[in-house]
Amino acid sequence: MTIQENRLKGIFTEKKGKKIIFLTKNLTPGKTVYGESTYRAGKDEYREWVHTRSKLGAALAKKVTQLGIYPGSKVLYLGASTGTTASHVSDVVGNDGFVFALDFAPRTTRNLMYLCELRKNMSPIIADAKHPERYAGQVTIVDCVFQDIAQRDQAEIFMKNCDAFLKKDGFGVLAVKARSVDVAKKPKQVFQQVRAYLESRMIIVDYKELDPFEKDHCIFVCKKK
Amino acid sequence: MVFQIFSNCIGTFLFKDGKIAAEKLFSDDQIISYHDKVKEGKEIAPEKDMLSKNAGAEVLRGKIPPGPVLKQFSEAKYLKRMREASIIITKREIAESVRRDHLIIQASNNIEETDKVINNLAKRLREWYELYNPEFSKSIESHEKFAEIIQEKSRKELLEEIGLKEELSMGAAFSTEDLEPIMRLAAGITSFADLRSEQTAYVEKVMKDLLPNVNAVAGALIGAKLLARAGSLEKLSLFPASTVQLLGAEKALFRHIKTGARPPKFGLIINHPLVSRAKSSVRGKAARMVADKISIAAKIDFFKGEYHGDDLKKELEAKLR
Repeated sequence: MTIQENRLKGIFTEKKGKKIIFLTKNLTPGKTVYGESTYRAGKDEYREWVHTRSKLGAALAKKVTQLGIYPGSKVLYLGASTGTTASHVSDVVGNDGFVFALDFAPRTTRNLMYLCELRKNMSPIIADAKHPERYAGQVTIVDCVFQDIAQRDQAEIFMKNCDAFLKKDGFGVLAVKARSVDVAKKPKQVFQQVRAYLESRMIIVDYKELDPFEKDHCIFVCKKK
Repeated sequence: MVFQIFSNCIGTFLFKDGKIAAEKLFSDDQIISYHDKVKEGKEIAPEKDMLSKNAGAEVLRGKIPPGPVLKQFSEAKYLKRMREASIIITKREIAESVRRDHLIIQASNNIEETDKVINNLAKRLREWYELYNPEFSKSIESHEKFAEIIQEKSRKELLEEIGLKEELSMGAAFSTEDLEPIMRLAAGITSFADLRSEQTAYVEKVMKDLLPNVNAVAGALIGAKLLARAGSLEKLSLFPASTVQLLGAEKALFRHIKTGARPPKFGLIINHPLVSRAKSSVRGKAARMVADKISIAAKIDFFKGEYHGDDLKKELEAKLR
């Protein structure tokens, strides 16, 4: 086994032939979340972060320089869905960190619930991310806001949440789906628009387009001024 | 000195200059009832109590509390409790999110899938049975009737029905042992057909109860399919009529928007008798009119208005005659 620690804290890599796969240390050894493969090294178990199924995983594969999520971070995760990516975030932050996993759809939150009951550092919330005041009672100030929701006004929603819950100098990570902002526009143009909007209020640390893993998606890593 | 009172999912807290000065934590039973009230922006008993002890304190309610207040809850003991409370609240919200229109959607989707299953199995049944009795299979079109009749009558009887002698048939001789699995399959198809008709009756009944107007204008099955596409009655009622017209034609619609190809004129609504019967030159117009009325009907149903289904249907029929 040649599991190595990545430059990004809490994330591990292993060489598989020419490819590098990303791993996180499993908080709940013996249990996987979405059928991903696991690797053992000594006492620890690592889960593969499948980059075709997770936008954050895709960002890693595209060599993003900063994730904003560290061991011990408190993360507000908007658009957790069934918890594929959220489980890896939970692995990275570990038992000292915390993940507030928010989603709007009751159906997907049902699967998320099973995950939250297993992991002591995850808390499920059903709420509309458009209205931060409605779930302010279920979260605290966080070190990182991660958002992956396919909404037309995803940038505005992101900004609202960063204003409300992100600490100063905290990181905001936004996955943009160009096709939900405007299906007819060229994705590049949409990304430009979002970028201009974000730059007015935050410092953009990194930007990656997620092709070919996620079509017409990009990811912004920003820092709150 | 600034005094602030804030309630979240775990309790009511008094803040003195941004630090917690007093707290009243909720029990598991209180969490749900207080959470509902806090969400609606109503005052809860512990807040009142705390306010009476600290007159002049500002109550933070229905808005985002300032950062320093929220930050107090990052302590491990509060986080632990917050997780427990969130799990209780979320479980209840998942349970409460189920409404009767979801049941229609499940049943309607199930009918569609059952249809597919019946079709697939029937094709296999015919292929299999034709080794034994090819001539009869050709003579009957309906899969369900076919499955039923081959269980009831022998090959001889069936061939007589279409005026053929058993000895002149192309079919091979089958032993009872070889015939048995075919009959089991036929029995399965019959039971699926029964399931389908039972569920259709169920959808019709619930549609009549829940969406009487849509039921009258669109018919139970088309109404249920539109509902399934929309996702819920609320969504269907908030759609503009033009969206209702194109439900089920999303692929063609987006192709049109993206590439400028010819726009679709109808989606699921093509199955409506008034649309499918219309001449092809006016089919788009018919689809538009039907969609208009369905949209009106859905709005009436969602906002629990009076029954206007028959009027809407009459208007449509007069226009589309």
